[in-house]
Amino acid sequence: MTGDSDFKLDINGRTRRFDVPATTTLLTLLRDELNVTSPKRGCNQGVCGACTVEVDGWPVRACLTLAAGCAGKPVRTIEGAGDALTGALQRSFVALGAVQCGFCTSGMLISARDLLRRVPRPTIEQVQAALSGNICRCTGYRKIVDAVLAAAEECAP
Amino acid sequence: MLANVPEARPIAGGATLVAMINADLVRPAALVSLDGIAELSGISGTAAGGLRIGAMTRHRETASDPRLADSLRLVAEAAAVIANPVVRNMGTMGGSIAFSDPCADYPSALVAARAEIEVAGPTGRRRVPAAEFFVDWYTTALEEGEIVVAIHLPPAVAGVSTYRKIARTAGDFAIAACAAVVEDGGAVRVAVGGCGPVPIADPAAEAGLAGRLAEPGVVRAFAAGLAEMADPMSDVRGSAAYRLRLIPRLVEATLGDLAGMREQAA
Repeated sequence: MTGDSDFKLDINGRTRRFDVPATTTLLTLLRDELNVTSPKRGCNQGVCGACTVEVDGWPVRACLTLAAGCAGKPVRTIEGAGDALTGALQRSFVALGAVQCGFCTSGMLISARDLLRRVPRPTIEQVQAALSGNICRCTGYRKIVDAVLAAAEECAP
Repeated sequence: MLANVPEARPIAGGATLVAMINADLVRPAALVSLDGIAELSGISGTAAGGLRIGAMTRHRETASDPRLADSLRLVAEAAAVIANPVVRNMGTMGGSIAFSDPCADYPSALVAARAEIEVAGPTGRRRVPAAEFFVDWYTTALEEGEIVVAIHLPPAVAGVSTYRKIARTAGDFAIAACAAVVEDGGAVRVAVGGCGPVPIADPAAEAGLAGRLAEPGVVRAFAAGLAEMADPMSDVRGSAAYRLRLIPRLVEATLGDLAGMREQAA
């Protein structure tokens, strides 16, 4: 329906060229073109948070982000995360049982890491607010919040 | 390009338009990204002492700008309760108001703040007061080929202001919302959102309210008047009857809180 656009994207540190329809979302590009599957397609409406990734240092909804608009802005998913903070969050999610079906987990990790980078010692209310756009349909919120607080405890300066 | 390609759509943050494309509600013939136009981004002071919020300014930036204080604080408060932190990284003020969702947070806040919307199109530029910009359900004063360039706010005046939203859960669209300003000089401005096609405001009645917030009967009559002007819808969030009962209580509570804040400050 819409003309193709030709652009280059830096995804998890690797730059590749794409030629896809202009309405292609970042989520479709990641999952269907690149097999980068940590961002999940839940609602495709920006509500559920399962597709949350980082673009230009900020968490965004991959399902609402046009891939062509990310040219020149680094795209980072959990696959590309090798930092200590993400590692601490991942260990803490596992240790405290904050993963049930796992569908929301990648998005939770991106949102939680963004919070801990900006607020190294968050209150429980700050964790809840930061994760308010990430829905867990197993409703395992309590353990997720506990896991973020535990990771903060481990990593805070 | 917007003017020349029929059915071309400008795209701002994508929070609404891409969701509509995903749901197959719209099939734009072309998308024109407004990203990267310097004039559309950021918040700056104006020669008149007010603030100019570029249309592409994200809700996150608006929510945290310290210049949105006193009589302008309600604009930052409205930005801070839109959706959730991730969507606030994406959505823009221009994109939000151009959609004119009556349950969105900016329309009533901008009406109460006496904002003016700067729009540009093939025939030039013009400024539209917020109260005239929102025309009907999902309809603005924008003409074919026009886009929102910026939102202009008058200089902050000493006083208090706030944005209160009743919603089912944090980040949901409003069942009802009240944006209100009480200036130290006594002037009061109120706009109710989520309860009809456009924000509800009654400038003539506001004039009668100036300096009289301590008189419960006067405030009650004012709040009841706004409810009478409302034509709310019934939707999944609440019935029209419920909204009509909410409006006067929400307006009275909001004005009561602002009066209390002024006393504390004094």
